Amino acid sequence: MSSLTSSLPRADGAGARAARWGLYLILLLFAVWYLLPLVVMVSTSFKSLDEIRTGSLLSLPRDISTDAWSYAWTNACIGADCRGMAPYFLNSVIIVVPAVIISTLFGALNGYALTKWRFRGANLVFAMILFGSFLPSQVILLPMAQTLGFLGLAGTAGGLILVHVVYGLAFTTLFFRNYYVSIPDDLVKAATIDGAGFFQIFTKIMLPLSLPIMVVTIIWQFTQIWNDFLFGASFAAGGAQPVTVALNNLVNTTTGVKQYNVDMAAAMIAGLPTLVVYALAGKYFIRGLTAGSVKG
Amino acid sequence: MTLQNPPFQPAEEKARPAPAGSGFRASAQRHLSKLVVAPSFAAILVFVYGFILWTLYVSFTNSRMLPVYDLVGADAYVRLWKLERWYVAIENLLIFGGLFIGISLAIGIVLAVLLDQRIRGEGALRTIYLYPMALSFIVTGTAWKWILNPSIGVQEFVRGLGFETFTFDWIVQQDTAVYTLVIAAVWQSSGFVMALFLAALRGVDQEIIKAAYLDGASLPRIYWGIVLPSIRPVFMSAFVILAHLAVKSYDLVVALTGGGPGYASDLPATFMYEMTFRRNQIAIGSASALMMLATVVAIIVPYLYSELKGGKRV
Amino acid sequence: MATLSINNVRKQYGSVEVLKGIDLSLNDGEFLVLLGPSGCGKSTLLNMIAGLETISAGEIRIDQRVINGVHPKDRDIAMVFQSYALYPNMTVARNIGFSLEMRGLSKAERDEAIGRVAKLLQIEHLLDRKPAQLSGGQRQRVAMGRALVRDPKIFLFDEPLSNLDAKLRVDMRTEIKKLHQRLGTTVVYVTHDQIEAMTLASRIAIMKEGVVQQFAPPQEVYERPANMYVASFIGSPTMNFIRGTLSAEGDRLGVSVTAKGPSESGPSRFLPLAEAPAEADRWLGEEVILGVRPEAITCYDPAIAAGNPALVRVSCRVSVLEPTGADTITYIQLGGQEVVARIKPSDRPVEGEPADFMIDMSRANLFDPRTEQRI
Repeated sequence: MSSLTSSLPRADGAGARAARWGLYLILLLFAVWYLLPLVVMVSTSFKSLDEIRTGSLLSLPRDISTDAWSYAWTNACIGADCRGMAPYFLNSVIIVVPAVIISTLFGALNGYALTKWRFRGANLVFAMILFGSFLPSQVILLPMAQTLGFLGLAGTAGGLILVHVVYGLAFTTLFFRNYYVSIPDDLVKAATIDGAGFFQIFTKIMLPLSLPIMVVTIIWQFTQIWNDFLFGASFAAGGAQPVTVALNNLVNTTTGVKQYNVDMAAAMIAGLPTLVVYALAGKYFIRGLTAGSVKG
Repeated sequence: MTLQNPPFQPAEEKARPAPAGSGFRASAQRHLSKLVVAPSFAAILVFVYGFILWTLYVSFTNSRMLPVYDLVGADAYVRLWKLERWYVAIENLLIFGGLFIGISLAIGIVLAVLLDQRIRGEGALRTIYLYPMALSFIVTGTAWKWILNPSIGVQEFVRGLGFETFTFDWIVQQDTAVYTLVIAAVWQSSGFVMALFLAALRGVDQEIIKAAYLDGASLPRIYWGIVLPSIRPVFMSAFVILAHLAVKSYDLVVALTGGGPGYASDLPATFMYEMTFRRNQIAIGSASALMMLATVVAIIVPYLYSELKGGKRV
Repeated sequence: MATLSINNVRKQYGSVEVLKGIDLSLNDGEFLVLLGPSGCGKSTLLNMIAGLETISAGEIRIDQRVINGVHPKDRDIAMVFQSYALYPNMTVARNIGFSLEMRGLSKAERDEAIGRVAKLLQIEHLLDRKPAQLSGGQRQRVAMGRALVRDPKIFLFDEPLSNLDAKLRVDMRTEIKKLHQRLGTTVVYVTHDQIEAMTLASRIAIMKEGVVQQFAPPQEVYERPANMYVASFIGSPTMNFIRGTLSAEGDRLGVSVTAKGPSESGPSRFLPLAEAPAEADRWLGEEVILGVRPEAITCYDPAIAAGNPALVRVSCRVSVLEPTGADTITYIQLGGQEVVARIKPSDRPVEGEPADFMIDMSRANLFDPRTEQRI
């Protein structure tokens, strides 16, 4: 991707130079605005309570203290449970890993079947699956709660895995379908003549070609499921709650002295996995975000 | 707020039913294809469409704490539209949605155009503008809540600089709390709008730009008169995405205001949750959920339809 | 090596009929070219032979065995795609050996076969590369190698050269011809390029809108086209179609071209035919179209014309000369109609002036103006 104006000569002269300075200034001010909450969180999480009380919102910590982090991790009270964020963090891992793997796998298979072995009504099936990505979750909260109860999965990690897999299918199918549409049908024809069957073509040709979209899908699903709050709050009980729900409980617990540094440390703990993934593979996350919504 | 992604690439109509193959072997493979999609499709049928019907059914009962299945007609809808709290939620949604969509679009477009000027460090800036999308609002809301809190946040900070009368206490005021939701939501989503538009800008034919330049058009004119009109479909996409995000906004409210003060900053999503799970008004909760669905459908379906149409035209 | 017969084959997509009853039969070792514009159904027919499209009606036989319901991999065919369809994730060697891998051959057997084919196509040095690292011509060779490795009964080519640049296309064309001469395998080759068709085919099937217009050896298609469509599709510049009336002058039968403008003058607007067409009586006095290839019209040379009664002298005004080097394309006015002649560069008529030409009527064709069929 190159800049739209890259084919034009650069303007020069004093006016143009001033305009460029202004341009950078505006862009940097926006960067500050976007970064502000993160900076506040990080710097506050390393401050002591005293320093928070005396210092200001934006000041950097004088003495870096990791006390708040370790307290948030092991001792903070979520409701009556004072084991810190650690067990809830683990809950999230237990929910996220299988849900991401299963939904990605199904998405890949669906995308393959819907593009390379198109059957009558395949487009309708796809459209119906796709609609799921727009669904306001509120519409399914109550029946889902009932169904999970009926299946004996109410309040468990298993129940949340099921929920995330089902409502992730729309996205994973969309990603893989749109990716596979761009892979020439001739490859499948050639492989068919070469003697490969449905699953052989999938495993030997399509999957090895799917690495980029696989990364996009996994990162997307990971971010979505890790960040989920509504399903976690609705379907997970007490000890099985994911980290976002625990964080919300921690922050909104009003008993005792408000420990802002612990709140911020806990928030950082809950946000760190997705933040790290974003920092390492932001390119793929952005591709997930914009996938298909811009006509190419 | 759960981040959703509506992209829809129209099916390639010209592509024939892919490698068909004659005889039973090939048709067996086509059946295999259906078989592979079947579990997902069945799950979607039950968990999306079945559940919508279930909720629809429940909304026509007088379920309170537990769902009951005796139909009583549109009673719940009548009661819903008599609730003052519902009107507050709807009004908030209109204010919130309108401002959120408008400001996000404006900021997103401006940033995209500015970033498109061969900026040094564009990659880093893009990363910064977009990171809010990667974080749960439950996480970043913790910081926002603090920043917006008059006694410890921005108000206090500015007063500390010597402006003793400075006031920024929207979050605790009944009639302004909803605007804090707008600030935070714009902060979260405008980077995404920027990414959408930047990608579209880079897809515009360079030859057109060169031609316009040779015709003597200034850069602002080129953008305003040629580039932006040529990426009109992206406005549509961005609008639809933002609009349905607005309807679904939930995390944001929970993390920032909890719907308060009182229920002054309720949105339909929090209203529904409150009615269904806290106030034992399952029928009303279901009715409100369906109103949300209807809103989303009203936004999405025409969009998808026009996208499909467009796909055929291309 | 095999025979191929296609009997009354039809293909429908819903209510649209793309192939309307195709009958073709090939002897062992023949090189059939399916020639036609895009959308004529030639690729659909090829895909049906390959087993990638179902056959709506009729039957296809390879070596007398009906293959309508046979899976592609059991038809013993190999196909080279326009896009080459190389598996991007596999090395060249594995691409070539993939069909053998699917058939359960051992690694040693596969390597032996891959080596043999790679040597034949001179791509041994490319075996460890991925398709993305190859040039267009190299990809083309690998695609051929993938088809060759199994030693199939029939090769199917789907516009294999159309993604190459002009020069490479000519080189590869020659190579395909050599390869066919060497292996003697039956080939079905789809193209829209008349030169490829002429140079490669043992027989050409020219298709239009799902119907075979003519199925004959290249030279026959060129010299005796079955209808005006075929006549105009093959040959460049295209055949001249001269409107006239079939008439008799003495005992000679010929085509009268009516002069329309005052500038037309000359010894004869009556062009006597070298041989009488079938049912000449029926056509006498009727309007016909005389089809003459540009190279059948040359500058008048009394020495040559004297010994050949089929050469008819005409005097025409020259409008434009287009030298191409090897010969000069000349636009002349004949009976008010523009006619193209291909003359020697050494003959230099003057633009805008009349000159004498001779038409070799032994190479002329007559067409029915209503049906456009050959008379």
